[in-house]
Amino acid sequence: MKTAPRQIVAFGGGGFSMESGNPLLDDYVLGLTRSERPRVCFLPAASGDADHYIVRFYRAFSAHRCEPSHISLFRREQGPTDLRRHLLSQDLIYVGGGSVVSLLGVWRAHGIDSILREAWESGVILCGLSAGSLCWFAEAVTGFHGEPKQLRGLGLLPFSNCVHYERGSKRRESYHRFLLEGMRGGYAAEDGAALHFVGEELHRVVASRPRAWGYRLDVAGRRVVEMRIATTYLGDRDAPAAAPLPEALSTAPAAG
Amino acid sequence: MNGNGRLAAAAPVRRILALGGHEFSSRPPDRAVCELLLRLAAERGGERPRICILPTASGDTSELISSFYSAFGERPCEPSDVSLFRLGRRPLALRDHLLEQDLIYVGGGSLVNLLAVWEAHDIASILSLAWRRGIVLAGQSAGAMCWFEAGITKSSGKPAAAAGLGLLPGSLCVHYNNEPERRAAYLDAVGGGMPGGYGLDDYAGLLWEGEGTPSALTARRGARAYRVSHREREVAESPLPARFLPAPAPAALREDIAEFRRIKTMRKRAGWLG
Repeated sequence: MKTAPRQIVAFGGGGFSMESGNPLLDDYVLGLTRSERPRVCFLPAASGDADHYIVRFYRAFSAHRCEPSHISLFRREQGPTDLRRHLLSQDLIYVGGGSVVSLLGVWRAHGIDSILREAWESGVILCGLSAGSLCWFAEAVTGFHGEPKQLRGLGLLPFSNCVHYERGSKRRESYHRFLLEGMRGGYAAEDGAALHFVGEELHRVVASRPRAWGYRLDVAGRRVVEMRIATTYLGDRDAPAAAPLPEALSTAPAAG
Repeated sequence: MNGNGRLAAAAPVRRILALGGHEFSSRPPDRAVCELLLRLAAERGGERPRICILPTASGDTSELISSFYSAFGERPCEPSDVSLFRLGRRPLALRDHLLEQDLIYVGGGSLVNLLAVWEAHDIASILSLAWRRGIVLAGQSAGAMCWFEAGITKSSGKPAAAAGLGLLPGSLCVHYNNEPERRAAYLDAVGGGMPGGYGLDDYAGLLWEGEGTPSALTARRGARAYRVSHREREVAESPLPARFLPAPAPAALREDIAEFRRIKTMRKRAGWLG
């Protein structure tokens, strides 16, 4: 039986889906498992289980450093039949990006929502980017379908969440408005930043880019208070700057 | 465009085409199915009807979407797709777009996921409204079963009963004789109290036009539609008489034929032919 604490690492954006050639966030979550060959299961349902996305997962999480698997809820005739047993036997569950609305709908239909809570409680590390971050929180801001909207997530973390929280982005603006309208306080992360929760507490913020940050947001009176959180850059500060990243795939994390 | 346009607006005929299974290939039975879809759309929308695919059940695979466009792209219609998993890249006004269509085609895949994602995006009420407005609803496999109260899906691996939207009463089982385990599960389910309905082989279809019983269609010899009902502790299965849908000539040939006809007419006019 695992006695590990409950852990969630919520990426504002990044990892193999968005940062080809920059494995810092993916290495970080693998490292948290403290296993030599961790069992990692990819859940790509937010992308509609896009084949090319699954292939990229297996490339990034190759068999020499972990035991990768995936669950395709659109092709249940393949893959593990006992979803619960498979998910509970993992060290890390990695949720891909895409449409969080569709993701939560499909999860509910297959009972994945309650299995994930069980997995979290038993110490399986949960992580993901974009939709794969929003899903863990009680409330979230999705910008996937044009105008940003509010939605309810699984509620493992009793906060609100906003991803791809770049300066001047529509999501940022909408998140502030939602907070003023009564959305509970929470956390936001820019592309490349990841919020690491132990239990329901934010443990630390790590980043795959020197200038990617996480934020804490609250409302005081009639004002949104945004606080930048000290963020640990996971790379070598002295190394030459990485090549410019491809345009943030904030709306299409499954794109090539 | 349509001579009945005004009449249709007053009391639109509710039409649903349920297909047991097909692809958008260039093989004759697939061409026959596409021709039927095009004809149904044109009956409502005239010369350039709007046809939209909802590939949700497949997870919006680009394979399905591109085969749909290759089947309809060159035909007299305006094809489009609504990919709920890809909206981020191409936002559109979902409701307005769907209600502008003449035919909405739902692709196959996971029935359970289809309904779950539709529910999450509130698509069901739009489709039901589209149907009441006379927009043709069509689909194959999961995209056919979704219109009924229930179907037999392999969404969770083994064939099992799952609920649909219930626009049509009763149940449907697709790939009927093509997947014997699915048919067996269906007969069991109907025997166990699931409402009766229909079994459709690949390339067989049922067309509802207004109230009453549907007409059966087949695009491949031997492909049949069955009525399946529970009577006196027994499940009865009876094949329905079906109209055969001939395959139109392939696209390349269609041009050749048109050209041949033009030449023939010219020659006739010139008195070269008897």
